[in-house]
Amino acid sequence: MSRSTVKTEITGKVWKVTATKGQRLAEDDPIVILESMKMEIPVPAPLDCTVVEILVAEGDSVTEGDVIAHIES
Amino acid sequence: MPFDKERADFEARAKRAKAMGSPTRLAERKAAGILNARERVERLVDKDTFIEAGLFATSIKPDVREKSPGDGVVSGFGKISGRMAGVNAADFTTLGSSSAEVHGKKQYYVRETCRKNGMPMVSLMECAGGRIPDIMGAAGIGRAGEGARYTHTRETPWASAVLGLTYGGGAFTCINSDFVVMRKGAVLAVSSQMVTSVAIAEEANPEDLGGWRLHSEQTGFVHAVVDSDEDAIAQLKAFLSYLPDNANQAPPIAPAIEPVAVALDTLVPESRAKTYDVRPVIKAILDKDTYFPLKERFAKVAVTALGRINGRTVGIVASNPMFKGGALDPDACDKITSFIVLCDSFNIPLIFLADTPGFLVGAESEKKRLPGKIMNFMAALELSTVPKIALVLRKSYGQAYLNMGGGRSDVTASWFSGDISFMDPAVAVNVVYAVKPGEDPARYEQLLTQVSSGTTAYELAAPFMAQMVIDPNDTRRFLSGMLDVLTRRMTNGVGTHRLADWPPAF
Repeated sequence: MSRSTVKTEITGKVWKVTATKGQRLAEDDPIVILESMKMEIPVPAPLDCTVVEILVAEGDSVTEGDVIAHIES
Repeated sequence: MPFDKERADFEARAKRAKAMGSPTRLAERKAAGILNARERVERLVDKDTFIEAGLFATSIKPDVREKSPGDGVVSGFGKISGRMAGVNAADFTTLGSSSAEVHGKKQYYVRETCRKNGMPMVSLMECAGGRIPDIMGAAGIGRAGEGARYTHTRETPWASAVLGLTYGGGAFTCINSDFVVMRKGAVLAVSSQMVTSVAIAEEANPEDLGGWRLHSEQTGFVHAVVDSDEDAIAQLKAFLSYLPDNANQAPPIAPAIEPVAVALDTLVPESRAKTYDVRPVIKAILDKDTYFPLKERFAKVAVTALGRINGRTVGIVASNPMFKGGALDPDACDKITSFIVLCDSFNIPLIFLADTPGFLVGAESEKKRLPGKIMNFMAALELSTVPKIALVLRKSYGQAYLNMGGGRSDVTASWFSGDISFMDPAVAVNVVYAVKPGEDPARYEQLLTQVSSGTTAYELAAPFMAQMVIDPNDTRRFLSGMLDVLTRRMTNGVGTHRLADWPPAF
């Protein structure tokens, strides 16, 4: 098992947190959904993984490159 | 028999040369499932078509001749799926296929023969870098730099595979190519970790220096990633199947295969705020199983793919709302620019599918030189002479509308769902009237309706800035028909190639 981080690709505001700690995700499943460029933009799991920790909450502002979650694969 | 003695000598020499380098290294590769240079060529070219050049070439250094069969590269000409091409295959078991005088002359010979005779060139690369001591000293580096050997002026397509440790000259050959496929586990870098550890005291591992993740996801130098040598060769063949032999030909026409029928309006959400993956839309437009994405893991917000419509090769450029909402970022600009250069150089019509909220604004993008990259992208677009079709799927705002071919293509069209403006109407209400939805909902809605009324596809069609407004489900028929119209009959589909001398790596 290796642990890695998930980063945002875009600056915006956290609109929804869709995954929970301990949840199994398939590649491209959304972890959170950001509101940016007037769009609802998911931050997807980069690969099949388990969510270890989610570091943001709804309403938070994030900048491109911020770590939003730790995952294990 | 006549010439018995000469024949025996010839056969012994050929056998020795074809045995390549160290038997131990050959055995190690076999055990690891990695093909050697001759096995790779065998799989690349059609049976019994390979004509080898330089089988009896060796190092220029007398004391190294015996251990440098072919001087570390298998070169020649052979048919790939029935079409003649030049081939250079690195033999890593011979002095690490390091760059040296005869080694370079062989590759240059193939390259120039391809250029003069209008044939593609394929490079199957591994390279330990410059050969030491050959390249040491003033005369050594001086000889290495003679002649314009590095520039690719796109007379013919170059396709390369990175199939092992590939440093220095081998890496540069790949970078100059129109298509690069990389096998996982291979490395492409200027220098190996042996050099970096001494030069800058950096103990980087080869994967960090130039592994497949770096080049497919961050640098964008690699167009495709595969798991095996065989898969890499299949990718090279597939790429070349879309291209003409040279810039003075139109691409070959293949049998047309109808895709599985999909109603395109079911693939795109009506709400402009919702994301979706544009790739199923592209696949539903193209002939069945002809979608061939380039740089799929790099700048995912832009899709650049070759494919066929009714048998004709096309280049697709699409914004993908699934990533960054479809907002085009600096890497996406680079990716699209290099794709336009490829398509324009080899007479491949371009189709732009736009569903984008605009270029990705913000400090990060500005730091990454977004304005310059937008203009590189625009210059490539405006200098290109291949047929271009710009189609708005759902929304297309601001400068991105123009960069995605709006108003500067042979035809600008929109789905009836198109929404076109300087910016998203919801943003415009904030910016122009300083009204936010939470503060004064009634006024906000009234202004939003007012601003949105001028942004429909029909507002673009009325002043004939869009030539057609179409039903999404009519897209394939529309594109196929327009490609038939836009065949550049006066020049047999050949453009003027003003981008052919553009740099290889954006």
